[in-house]
Amino acid sequence: MLLGFFRVTKFALQSISRNISLSLMTILILILMLLSINTLIIINILTDEAVKSVKDQIDVSIYFAHDASQIQIDEVKSYVDSFPEVVEIEYLTEDEVLAQFREQYKDNTEIIASLEELDENPLGPTMIVTTREPKDYEKVIAALVVPEYENIIEAKTFGDTEKAIERIHIITTQVERFTIAISILFAIIAFLIIFNTIRIAIYTHRMEISIKKLVGANNWFVRGPYLIEALVFSFLSVLITYGLVILALHLLDPYITIVFGEANILTNYYNSSILSLLGIQFLAVLFLTVFSSLLAMRKHLRV
Amino acid sequence: MIKFKGVSKQYTKDSIGLADVNLHIEPGEFVSVVGQSGTGKTTLVKLLIAEERPTDGVIEIGGWDITNISYNDIPFLRRQIGVVFQDFKLLPKKTVYENIAFALQVADMPRHRIHEIVPKVLDIVGLTHKDERYPHQLSGGEQQRVVIARALVHRPKILVADEPTGNLDAINTQEIMEILKKINEFGTTILLVTHNKDIVNQLLKRVVTLHNGKIIADKKEGKYRL
Repeated sequence: MLLGFFRVTKFALQSISRNISLSLMTILILILMLLSINTLIIINILTDEAVKSVKDQIDVSIYFAHDASQIQIDEVKSYVDSFPEVVEIEYLTEDEVLAQFREQYKDNTEIIASLEELDENPLGPTMIVTTREPKDYEKVIAALVVPEYENIIEAKTFGDTEKAIERIHIITTQVERFTIAISILFAIIAFLIIFNTIRIAIYTHRMEISIKKLVGANNWFVRGPYLIEALVFSFLSVLITYGLVILALHLLDPYITIVFGEANILTNYYNSSILSLLGIQFLAVLFLTVFSSLLAMRKHLRV
Repeated sequence: MIKFKGVSKQYTKDSIGLADVNLHIEPGEFVSVVGQSGTGKTTLVKLLIAEERPTDGVIEIGGWDITNISYNDIPFLRRQIGVVFQDFKLLPKKTVYENIAFALQVADMPRHRIHEIVPKVLDIVGLTHKDERYPHQLSGGEQQRVVIARALVHRPKILVADEPTGNLDAINTQEIMEILKKINEFGTTILLVTHNKDIVNQLLKRVVTLHNGKIIADKKEGKYRL
């Protein structure tokens, strides 16, 4: 048993080295497929990050009336805070709002001049509300349209940005669906290419398979080397792909940092999921190569 | 040693390989099976090594009924019959030594025994000095000698040679026939399938003539007559 395993392993390594061009071609195709899959993983990470970033940019500002008392403001604040959909409330006093306004329009002399002409601060306190999902804003705003808050709340910006938020929600949903569809498509293409690559590799060995059978080899003695070859091809292709991906991430991350403002998003993701990413890809490629080998050999073993 | 009892092989409705063949070959015999192309000679060989199964009849080898041999037993049968093919059937990516050793490795033979046996059979076929060469680095005659060496490693009681000289010139043909005669002298039963008139007539051994899948002549010291 052990002697048989040793011989089968030796034959596999011999076959890889003596058919080096075919072996390299098979590994190359596996690497190309794995690179495509990893490109898709990177696109998924970036899409998620982009969607998250867009969602983070959306908030609703509630402008309180100039004469609203602190008790009334606190009441609205605690009421809004009670919604489970609300993740953050930022409260700005009227002085802070004014300072922010001045900063925002510091280059617009006309606006600043008109502000100077006024004796007192025309801006009231503001509450900035952030919810989990853009669609949750509607619920929060609807809850605030009640008679008791009519004189306290002067304006709500959501009304103006409602359509934009709705549009972003539609776009992000569509992007997520699109990436799922592309992933499925890539998985099918990867399966077909790996399956056919292995079939061709086995086909070129068909004479050898029949000769081995004719000199008295049993099926496992014939299959064994090809299965070990599949194991070696899978291992090498995953290892080389991972090396190339890590290299690519180091080159990409500085540019991605500029876009999202967060450092090493891709490298951190890969480092945190290295075992599952490598493991799943290795097992998937191994399963495909072994399955394809067994299926392709079936016909040639009937000698 | 080999018994065919009413053996028929029909591939399709119109394609008959063998029809009701009865043949009995004794241990140590040298039998030539002759006949024109497509007359059933190769079918006979394929049935012997269980590459094909008979449609009808019974085949026995050394008392073992192989008519409905199981797929698991086929490797054991093939390790007991040496087979020499016209197209050599050598593994192209293995050296001469490895090709011969492979037939022993499939039978789980220990390494030290392989190191003893392979040089001996290489010596019998006169290829000791070419053991590291690959098949494509050998002439046709040398390749056929490697095939004979591979067929001999298990010390088979039967050696089946299917057109062993079909791809060889006259000199190589003579050399291969001399080797086969030598093997037969050691007691191995030889079944030679050929359509080479000259070698059959020189042998002066038993000749079985096939025509349209049937045995039409079986002579003790026969000649090639068709």
